[in-house]
Amino acid sequence: MQTRNFHDILTVIKFTMRDILGRKSFRISTAIITILIILGFNIPNFLNSFTNEGPSSDTILVLDHDNVFEGKIPEYDDLELSTESTEAIEEKIMNDEISAAIYISRTDSGSPHLHYLVKNMVAASEMPTKLLDAFIYQYTANQVNKLNLTPTQTQQILPSFRVTTSQVDTQEVGGNIFVMMILSCILFFAIYFCAYQVSISITVEKTSKIMETLVTSTTPRTIILGKTIGIGLVGLIQILLFAIVALISAYTFLDPTLLNAMFDLSTFTPLLAIIMIVYFILGYFMYALLYALTGSTVSKPEDVQSANMPIAFITMIGFYLSYFTLSDPTGDLNFIAALLPISSPFCMPLRVMMGIASAWEVTLSIAILIVACVIIAHIAIKIYSNAILNYGTKMSLGSLLKIYKEK
Amino acid sequence: MQGLILKNVSKTFAGKKVVDKISLELTKPSVYGLLGTNGAGKTTTIRMILGILKKDSGEITWNGQAVDRKSVNFGYLPEERGVYPKIKIYDQLMYFAELKGMDKVTADKSIRKWAKVLKVEEYLEMPAEKLSKGNQQKIQFMTAIIHNPDLVVLDEPFSGLDPVNTEILKNIIIDLVRHGKYIIMSAHQMPTIEEFCTDILILNRGKTVLQGNLKDIKAAYPANRVVIDTTSDITKYLKQAKLAVENEKDHQYTIKIKHENAARELLEQLVADHITIDRFEIMKPTLNDIFIEKVGATNANS
Repeated sequence: MQTRNFHDILTVIKFTMRDILGRKSFRISTAIITILIILGFNIPNFLNSFTNEGPSSDTILVLDHDNVFEGKIPEYDDLELSTESTEAIEEKIMNDEISAAIYISRTDSGSPHLHYLVKNMVAASEMPTKLLDAFIYQYTANQVNKLNLTPTQTQQILPSFRVTTSQVDTQEVGGNIFVMMILSCILFFAIYFCAYQVSISITVEKTSKIMETLVTSTTPRTIILGKTIGIGLVGLIQILLFAIVALISAYTFLDPTLLNAMFDLSTFTPLLAIIMIVYFILGYFMYALLYALTGSTVSKPEDVQSANMPIAFITMIGFYLSYFTLSDPTGDLNFIAALLPISSPFCMPLRVMMGIASAWEVTLSIAILIVACVIIAHIAIKIYSNAILNYGTKMSLGSLLKIYKEK
Repeated sequence: MQGLILKNVSKTFAGKKVVDKISLELTKPSVYGLLGTNGAGKTTTIRMILGILKKDSGEITWNGQAVDRKSVNFGYLPEERGVYPKIKIYDQLMYFAELKGMDKVTADKSIRKWAKVLKVEEYLEMPAEKLSKGNQQKIQFMTAIIHNPDLVVLDEPFSGLDPVNTEILKNIIIDLVRHGKYIIMSAHQMPTIEEFCTDILILNRGKTVLQGNLKDIKAAYPANRVVIDTTSDITKYLKQAKLAVENEKDHQYTIKIKHENAARELLEQLVADHITIDRFEIMKPTLNDIFIEKVGATNANS
């Protein structure tokens, strides 16, 4: 009997996968998303092709005809002292040979006047603060040096600051917040859309009246498990495909320095990948079973959305609980989110990535998720078994409870 | 004992008894008719036989064993016709054959054999949505019998079929019985039941109102009408005999009678007056008459 059950589940899995993979809508959406990923990684190159029309150099020329700085301008990367005429400099700016120029003069009261000259004020409306600070410091230094002070006195007036940062929390938090937010969103959308497909698939079987034939061919448990696994596998294959396309696109199209700045994958270890897949599978399984339950209670495709609303709401709460507590990963709320089955699939992988999740936390979280899956599977299969043969109006919570209590 | 046996089977939904102590025996290959108005409990009974609905009480056995869907080889054509609209016919037939435990090679042979018999070979590679309703129905009939089941449950097998396809299906059902299959058939068309069924069970509001061998049931009912085909107007004779005309068209009369004697007296009178009679037939009640009498005209109309 066990072999027969296994054979039947495999048959349902294969049929479900072939059905989805054979759908035009699936192929088209997969192709469109793949193209969008490739295009997305080409955006920097695309923007560069326009910005290339801008300055070819970051050089900023400094004209100090009044000798306000006495030849000592700040040691800034792209600053160069120039003696060229204003006409020649303006021409260089117009021809994008330099990015900007700074004209230094004195006001009537004798104070320094810095005039920042750019090609177009839309791109740069004022002098960068860092640059201005550098000029103020340099001017002050120039004036202090004239006072013939001792080095100690000079250092007291012009101290060189040492700036450091540390955290009060004893737990070390690592990882790139940008990557984590992307991973959290990917996990959420992957789980949500795949699980939603289960509901759609069951409603299609109900509305096309194939359910009675199906339910006399195998057990409801086989159908629900086979369908859930089949759709989950297709989802996993699709996500892996997108991930591979994204990785190839990133390494092919992105500037390596930009790539390293955006995606610090140093914390993305094989263990984390495994944990992410485990949470995807368990999270998907839990939500898919909930969607299977709601899918079995409707008889018309137009009722699917409203029937799924409560589950969609729970999914959103789970996701946002994880997302908003990400800013305080060592706080109690994030810890609770990592254990709660509705949010742990989106939260715990990120805690692992940040290096703040201990082994027992992960084990406990997975155990809670598995228990939740088993309980939901029991309820979902029971209601599904009795609800799939009910045709009529959408069922209320009361009627679902009655159905659950039925033999 | 061989075959299907139901003993005092009951089912209650939300406090309402929808099937009340039903018993039936289908102990030799034949067609058993399950009749009743909408909501009489036919579908619930069928679902309990198929094991997709648990009974509250009673016994259902197949070849002496309590019915467990996994241990018997049942086939089912539900009243609600359904196919996967976007999936190729061959693929869905193979899917159901595999779920019923067939291997691919045997299933392929069976699909091609039945596709030929039902004249749907050309549609095997097409998605179901491109087929007419009649052809979709034939595909579903194939799903019910493709795995060579011992017991086949057919719920309204002929509804929606044209005469040609109805004939094809009828021949298959006769052939299935000839090959030792047990068939439970639920239908609203009484002539169909009369044509196929050896035994019948009429349900009304979950209760058995009539049950037994169809021939015996009909034999137990007295004649209730006379059909007279004549060239003359015999209205005055009918009035004299106080007989009610059920139907009259071109001097063909269908007359209700309470006793056969009334018909014989009328015939004597007509012969004595030299009325030309082409046909004079004293008729037993049809199954439809019996059904209406037992279930009630109101239910029958619904």
